[in-house]
Amino acid sequence: MSHHWISLTLNGETIEAEVPANRLLSDFLRDQLALTGTKRGCETGVCGACSILIDGEVSKSCLSLAVQAHGKTITTVEGLAQGQALHVLQAAFMEHGGLQCGYCTPGFLIAAADLLSRNTSPDDAEIRKALSGNICRCTGYQGIVDAVRAAAENLNGT
Amino acid sequence: METSAIGQARPQINAREKVLGRARYAGDLKLAGMLHARLLRAPHAHARIVSVDTSAARALAGVRAVATGADVPDRRWGVGHKQQHVLARGVVRFVGEEVAAVVAETPEIAEEALDLIRVEYEELAPLLDPALSLDPGVPQVHEGGNLSEEINIDRGDVDAAFAGADLIHEETYTTHSQYPGYMEPMATLAEVDGAGRLNVWTSTQSVFLARQRLAEALDRPISSIRVIQPTVGGGFGGKIIEERSSVIAAFLATLVDRPVRLGLSRLDDILSGCFSVPATIRLKMGMTRDGTIVAKEVDILADCGAYAGLAGEVMTVTAMRSDNMQRIRNIRTRARLVYTHTMPRGAFRGFGGAQMSFALNSHMATMAEMLGLDVIELHRKNAIGPGETSVHDWKIGSCELPACLDQVSEAIGWGEKRSRAKAGGVLRRGVGMAAAMHVSGNRTIGNWDGSTILLKVNEDGRAVVHTGESDMGQGAFTMLAQICAETLGIPVAHVTVAAPDTDNSPYCIGTLASRVTINGGMAMVKAAEEARATILAAAAAKLGCDAEDLALVDGVIRSADGAHTAPLAEICRYHIYRHGGEGIYVKGSHDPQTVRFDGDFRGNIAPAYSFAAQAVEVEVDTETGQVRLVETYLSDDCGVAINPLAVHGQSNGAAVQALGWTLYEELHFEGGRVINGNLADYTMATADAVPMMHSMIVEGYEPNGPLGAKGASETAILPGAAAIANAVYDAIGVRITDLPITPEKILAGLAELEEASLA
Repeated sequence: MSHHWISLTLNGETIEAEVPANRLLSDFLRDQLALTGTKRGCETGVCGACSILIDGEVSKSCLSLAVQAHGKTITTVEGLAQGQALHVLQAAFMEHGGLQCGYCTPGFLIAAADLLSRNTSPDDAEIRKALSGNICRCTGYQGIVDAVRAAAENLNGT
Repeated sequence: METSAIGQARPQINAREKVLGRARYAGDLKLAGMLHARLLRAPHAHARIVSVDTSAARALAGVRAVATGADVPDRRWGVGHKQQHVLARGVVRFVGEEVAAVVAETPEIAEEALDLIRVEYEELAPLLDPALSLDPGVPQVHEGGNLSEEINIDRGDVDAAFAGADLIHEETYTTHSQYPGYMEPMATLAEVDGAGRLNVWTSTQSVFLARQRLAEALDRPISSIRVIQPTVGGGFGGKIIEERSSVIAAFLATLVDRPVRLGLSRLDDILSGCFSVPATIRLKMGMTRDGTIVAKEVDILADCGAYAGLAGEVMTVTAMRSDNMQRIRNIRTRARLVYTHTMPRGAFRGFGGAQMSFALNSHMATMAEMLGLDVIELHRKNAIGPGETSVHDWKIGSCELPACLDQVSEAIGWGEKRSRAKAGGVLRRGVGMAAAMHVSGNRTIGNWDGSTILLKVNEDGRAVVHTGESDMGQGAFTMLAQICAETLGIPVAHVTVAAPDTDNSPYCIGTLASRVTINGGMAMVKAAEEARATILAAAAAKLGCDAEDLALVDGVIRSADGAHTAPLAEICRYHIYRHGGEGIYVKGSHDPQTVRFDGDFRGNIAPAYSFAAQAVEVEVDTETGQVRLVETYLSDDCGVAINPLAVHGQSNGAAVQALGWTLYEELHFEGGRVINGNLADYTMATADAVPMMHSMIVEGYEPNGPLGAKGASETAILPGAAAIANAVYDAIGVRITDLPITPEKILAGLAELEEASLA
């Protein structure tokens, strides 16, 4: 298996790494960089637990290779908070019951962050549509939708 | 304290680490020198293993161990039926059964090695249809026949009661198997350490049941094993004691002197996972004209797949739990559990209750219409009440079922929606409802249902709770922290709950049967009361007053007259210095005053019982057959809600899980092989497929529960399927009796109606 050097911006830091050509981006993050907040849930791009932001857009990291991340800017769940200060979505998920077991939570946070970057005042239908690439088995989605709505309102000062 | 620690919506105490992505699940854990395991599964539903050649796999560079059924302990493990080896030996009984395992330096090498294992099978005829399982001449899954268990219950005089009934209705309902669908596939990390002890980190609902099972399956002393629970990514019953991968992972760790991690892929998890028990239920019920249920006859055929696991216990619940919800006295029930050459089925949220709830509530709606009665009135008329003893000797403590019925019917506008004129057109709406009950606790695992809490109050006045009860995401640790804070008199933020660990936690059964809030919570109350008494006695000695005059509120000790005051931390330190170095370390144990079933399935098995009702509105597209859930209101009687945020979250999650079972999720087999073993084809509902979920709580007070609480969450999955089926009937006049409700069945039902109207 050939190996490649890649360089990327990850959670605000420039990193370089050597990766096998066939290594999934999700495995690179989890196994090589120990960023285990990105979860493996289905490895077929359905459940969204491995969602990350690539150049600001939500993407399922089990569907791309690590080498494809070369030159990109990536944000994982570990990159959402600023030091001790939670991202507004993280705080809203806590307060509104947007999580229970927590396994799908990183993916939902990332998908929601992508939504709020494009649409600062989504209605419930838009929130549900934006989150339809992620599966949660615990919450019935209500707490998640409530959390995203509250985070948007918070950001808008309403 | 300014606000009570209980009764207000409160984030889980471990929510912060979860939103930060820093909660550690079993598959995130890594130890130095860790190896990776992969499993080879049987491609046939029924076959004899003629030979297994592992030589090429063993020779592959980086492979550290290869194991087959010949290498595993002779002892068979199981719940009641001891049927399974760690890896299949001699015969495979379902597609996906684990035949061999590889341990290698990397997952990729392990996978490559699997391809090099040559297994020669002699294919045998499989038994795939449970309806044929007891016919003569069919393939036998185990020696001793295909009947795993049969129970018979006879109460009152059923024949006489039917003879006196004004209306008798009989129908057969079929329910299918549901995947628990926890988002974290099973993962285990195991090692034999330098001292020879087997340490296991696994995604489990019970560390102590896990340890007991490992001891049996690996044939080694219980105390040579330590099971530690990392954060668990959902369980829903599937991670109690039936999944097999943790057993295999632990076994593999005994073959090598390095740690081994086995994380299942989703396909692996589905092939080996514990789906719910499918049951066919024939229900015959007699009522008098006023809607009083006078007689019931039930015949159940349930399929446990290749191995029995907990399926027998599940079937017992299907057979008799819902009887206790009503004042019925005449019941005749036969239930049979049979084997097939399919994946093992067993525990799943609701533990068999959902199957019968579908049948019972569909039946009640049908009979209400026949009698010209409102089904809600029918439920109210027959509902058991507080202080009553049921037909199976269950003693009902708190029961707010009538209030649940009121709440959902008012919320959805039941009367108005039921009486509206039926519009024609393509899209037609209807409403339906259902009601259910569940246990809070269950005295079935040995003749006890106890729980113990060890509570340590540190020298800074903050508390650490040690428990063997598991948080699998439902919020058990938060519940314990809240009860601890409320009872002891400190802020919730000052309570830490240590992860279950068989070396350090007190023995507990674990998370099943909705038992943790009621039994773990009671132990928590007792431990916190003990700690408070110890602290106040020490404070009284130090402050020179009577302990009875002191109170501990919000971390501060004060006398009633305000003359004496001391921070809790100071008293905790004082206690250490003046008690021979003994810190405040107390325990509370609680075993409810319940009994195990007698031989005739009688006896009060639980300290409390929870109730729920749900009303829904659906819209049926009569051209495509699609059913859309428009509105849902679910009311849960969980006693005092310790944490309403958690109760609503559980109810909403349960309602969507029930919706999935009813409309979307269906396991498809072809020759015994699962053909939709992935999340694209086994379709669990996504956020855009469900409406706003309305969860409501009827707060009662449970006298046997901690601070008035009883179990929540499992009850909430029970009414959904029938509520939707009843709403579909209300919308289009088609009664679906076999789940799931698919567009094909809707269209076939509509075509049948049309044919009948033309005839």
